[in-house]
Amino acid sequence: MWAKDVFMAQTDNEVKLRMEEITKRFPGVLANNRINLDCRKGEVLGLLGENGAGKTTLMNILYGLHHPDSGKIFIDGEQVKIESPAKAIQLGIGMVHQHFKLVEALTALENVILGIPSDRPPILDLAPARKRLLNLCEEYELYVDPSTEVWKLPVGKQQWLEILKALYRDARLLVLDEPSSVLTPAEGEQLFRAVRKLSQEGRSVIFISHKLGEVLEITDRITVIRDGHVVGTVPTKEATQRELARMMVGRPIMMERKSRPIVSEKEPVLVMENVNVNDDRDLPALKNFNLTIHAGEIVGVAGVDGNGQRELAECIVGLRKRTGGTIRIRDHIVDSVIHDPSFVGFIPEDRQKTGLVLDLTVSENLVLKDFPRPPYTKRGVLKYNTIREHARNLINDYDIRTPSGEVQVRHLSGGNQQKVVVARELNAGPVLDIASQATRGLDLGAVESVHDTLLSERNRGAAVLFISTELQEVMSLSDRIIVLFRGEVMGEVEGDGADVFTIGQMMLGQMAEAVT
Amino acid sequence: MSGDQIIDWLQASLRWGAPLIVVSFGEVFAERSGVINVGIEGIMLFGALAGVAISFFTGNVLIAVIGTLLLGSLLGLTFAFFTVTRKTNQVVTGLMLNLIALGGTNLLFAMISETRSERVATFPVLFPESFFDIPILGPVLFRQPLSVWIALVLPFIASWILYRTDWGLNVRAIGDNPQAGATAGLRVLKLKYKTVILSGIFAALGGAMLTLGEVGYFASGGMTAGRGFVVLAAVVVGGWDPLRTALACLAFGAADAAQLRMQTTGSAIPYQFLQMLPYILTIAALAGVVGRTRPPKTWGAPYDPEDI
Amino acid sequence: MNKTKEKQAFISLPGIGELALSGVRPLIGILLGLLAGAVFIALSGVNPLDAYLSMLTGAVGSPVSISNVLVRASPLLIGGVGVAIGIKASLWNIGSEGYIYTGALGAVAVGIAPLPVPPIIHIILAILAAMGVAALWGLVPAYLRAYRGVNEVVTTIMMNYVAMFFISWMVHEPQPLAEPGSFFPMSKIIAPTAKLPILIRGTSLHPGFIIGIAACIFFYLVLRFTPFGFRTRMLGANPEAARYAGVNVRRQILYVLLIGAVMGGMAGSFEIMGLKMRVFQEFVAGVGYECVAVALLAGGNPLGVIPSALFFSALKAGGATMSIQTGVGAPMSVVIIGLCVIFVIAVGYGERKRLEKLSESEQEGEENTEAKQYVR
Repeated sequence: MWAKDVFMAQTDNEVKLRMEEITKRFPGVLANNRINLDCRKGEVLGLLGENGAGKTTLMNILYGLHHPDSGKIFIDGEQVKIESPAKAIQLGIGMVHQHFKLVEALTALENVILGIPSDRPPILDLAPARKRLLNLCEEYELYVDPSTEVWKLPVGKQQWLEILKALYRDARLLVLDEPSSVLTPAEGEQLFRAVRKLSQEGRSVIFISHKLGEVLEITDRITVIRDGHVVGTVPTKEATQRELARMMVGRPIMMERKSRPIVSEKEPVLVMENVNVNDDRDLPALKNFNLTIHAGEIVGVAGVDGNGQRELAECIVGLRKRTGGTIRIRDHIVDSVIHDPSFVGFIPEDRQKTGLVLDLTVSENLVLKDFPRPPYTKRGVLKYNTIREHARNLINDYDIRTPSGEVQVRHLSGGNQQKVVVARELNAGPVLDIASQATRGLDLGAVESVHDTLLSERNRGAAVLFISTELQEVMSLSDRIIVLFRGEVMGEVEGDGADVFTIGQMMLGQMAEAVT
Repeated sequence: MSGDQIIDWLQASLRWGAPLIVVSFGEVFAERSGVINVGIEGIMLFGALAGVAISFFTGNVLIAVIGTLLLGSLLGLTFAFFTVTRKTNQVVTGLMLNLIALGGTNLLFAMISETRSERVATFPVLFPESFFDIPILGPVLFRQPLSVWIALVLPFIASWILYRTDWGLNVRAIGDNPQAGATAGLRVLKLKYKTVILSGIFAALGGAMLTLGEVGYFASGGMTAGRGFVVLAAVVVGGWDPLRTALACLAFGAADAAQLRMQTTGSAIPYQFLQMLPYILTIAALAGVVGRTRPPKTWGAPYDPEDI
Repeated sequence: MNKTKEKQAFISLPGIGELALSGVRPLIGILLGLLAGAVFIALSGVNPLDAYLSMLTGAVGSPVSISNVLVRASPLLIGGVGVAIGIKASLWNIGSEGYIYTGALGAVAVGIAPLPVPPIIHIILAILAAMGVAALWGLVPAYLRAYRGVNEVVTTIMMNYVAMFFISWMVHEPQPLAEPGSFFPMSKIIAPTAKLPILIRGTSLHPGFIIGIAACIFFYLVLRFTPFGFRTRMLGANPEAARYAGVNVRRQILYVLLIGAVMGGMAGSFEIMGLKMRVFQEFVAGVGYECVAVALLAGGNPLGVIPSALFFSALKAGGATMSIQTGVGAPMSVVIIGLCVIFVIAVGYGERKRLEKLSESEQEGEENTEAKQYVR
């Protein structure tokens, strides 16, 4: 239906950037698989794709941070080799990263000129630079006070500063990576006005986002990337939300829905009311969030990474303070860290950083939360015999592949490391299970086993919160599905018979009612 | 206290504070770029010895100074190699450097010189004798040797370099966010090497000033007496700013001069409390009780170019 | 995927390899340090082998020299194990100088009093006083680190100097503890009931080293076999995961740093009651920093502190003989110690980072292959 690759413009003159057959392999993964992409002069090209789809790698190649294994890059029709960011800047490429590269102790002006040798070395020539910066602020209506230190600037202004940095170097091709993720709606408007001006001036903009609404509003064409390759490029005018969601998220149902017994008694286990939580930057991560999970049900949370999933899991177990609302698990009000696996089992997002202590042994990791209590400690002394016995049992029951329980857990494969976490957290039969990206980086077999475990938990009567960015498994496993977008629930659907396109659109920011 | 005593104290304050200021010149740059050179105590010791030794053998202060500068850059280079390239813990490396310096200077001194207290050529006094009789400023200022005048000028130079040049901006940037610096095209590791070598050079010079400034000889086992750490304290109390650090150095020099005098004349306040002052102030500054600025974000942390 | 599995097996094989790597690392560093020392010795015109040999005889050549080594080792053992615990928790407690000073002060305050109690009681009271005073001293940097995140390295070093000057004040007349009319500022002498017994007549050997070795064993057991030790190891290896597992990280940091303080205080008390009998101005003279070096060389392992401390003491004890026999100055042993530590940490970091990167990249590689397979 759609022309799979809407290729070059008529004449090469119109093309600012062409990336041809870009391929990049990292150990064990094909991040970019023969990607073809082009961007015309004065065009705003949207780049759509989930985390891990390969767009970050692609842009890093464009900015000289990585080198492609094969493929060519053309700027203004001429083939170029981009060995470093310095070269990219020379070619007129400007990159606005998602995570700001600003020196907070320095002023805005100093950040802008950092790395540009002054005209009158060795003296720092601030006056002409300041004038130039202020002119740019005027032109694009992105106002920043040059003399203010960056750490005093609100996040929105910091974003402007990143853009001004690129414009100061007269970038003709700007890459904006999720630029509006930290902006208020009003600031978002300002951003769009600036982008439109850039486009009118003949500068090209690559606009990376997973917010459908924005992408539809500001871009001229949209390229969708999935699993390292380009799914297609469409003119924005002709794109529909449904089709874009389909392209981004994947083909319809591939994973079988797991059969399950109907659970009749549905007493609430987890009750969250009007919960507000901030992220590490003190920006709201969850807004007036409401959720109830009952015994014997799996509630799946779908959504693109970075929309509040981590904060959600952390606040339920008390690792992150709420700024408003209440969280109750059975009769217990959550106000401090819960670390009792017989009450709440928590499989965290990053097993190596927060779920395991890599330097400790498998057995020790299996009692990471329980060790101070009997039978693992008696009269102040750790009973290693008991700990080892416990480990042997779990290794058996959960099929953890390891030479022994006394090996450091860092030597286990990813899948087996995850099994250690799962075993530790779920074996004691908690009333609430929280699984946050529990299958990340696991092979099919390990994924299956995690799914089976969670399902049997549900059947046993536990309440299960299943957070995952992989839509397929959310749909396969959940009794109910909610979609998280920027800290709010976009909608809720029944797991049985859920429609992937609908959910896909909600993941991109469409409210349930607006879904076509 | 009589007027004469005060003048004498002021003169001594400058004399004691000057070496501190000189050492702080280089250390401010190093710390601003994220490296704490705890070894400046040891480098000062080496510099003190080298200054005296070379002056003894050549009879020429200028050559002694040049030799000391070279030695300081070598030591700075070594420290940089371990802490920047091998990424060892900066404090531990510095402490061990101090240990080595303590033992090393004692050994070398015993080897070099039999006559322990023979005086050597020292820094010349700048102004002619006629200036000495000007009330107050005469003894306090004009009588001071060249080394003190150098020390008075250096903070302004440092301030200018740090805030008014490209290079200074780059140093400030990488101490706070080296990844941002790298993305902007700065050579982070190279910059760190330069600032650390600078701290070595000026630590050695400061040490030489202790022996060549007026004293003219080296006494084994305690020439520097913890002054390197006083400089570290001054940098913290001074908020990592060259001018404020220099003021702190002068203040600590004054405290030093005062406590020395108090030891002989006796006073209500125990002189030891003056000795404690720099260190207590440092802790207070770090705890946020006193003092204004925060340390450079990567203070003491090694930089890994692969951490993008 | 098979390739990664193979690589896994290779690394898994060493429950041994791990140990070897962690054991060999310090040895290589020490070797390099000795080599560097040899270079300097050679530069001064002496045959390094002669020098090291005379050092050896000076250290273990006779019962008297061995007793010297053990006496010198006492504070290094007691104080060093306190620092070692900190290292296991990834905390750098450099304040041993200060703890020894303040501990000595506490011991002397109790020791000079003519208490009508048997010696054993008097001694124990003095030790407790020492630990108490040192704990108070250590509370400042410990609190600042645990609850305000202030870098403990700088604060502990600063406290060392404050302690030194404070003690200097306390042993000057007219302070109550000071010895009246003495040339050199020092405290009064401790009562006979507070003196530690000499184990071998004709030497200065007091039971300090025995307590030191016992302390090392004790803390090794604590680290290995108690919940507290488990928490300490978690904290040192991965504070985030420790927090997730419900460990009160702040309290743990406080306790670990206080242990370093208390042990340093105890070391000071033994120095007074076993060796010096009084507190002299500036008597510590770098021993505190040597405790840190000992702990570093041992990689934070309490059992490792024993050979490490003995090695250090042997170097220092042998240094005097070396200087007499070969003319190489005694301070050379301190220089060699410094070189050894620097090389140990230089070698150590490289290895650790390499190991980490290896497991990380393997994980990543796996993750991505398998995630992709799944989604397809």
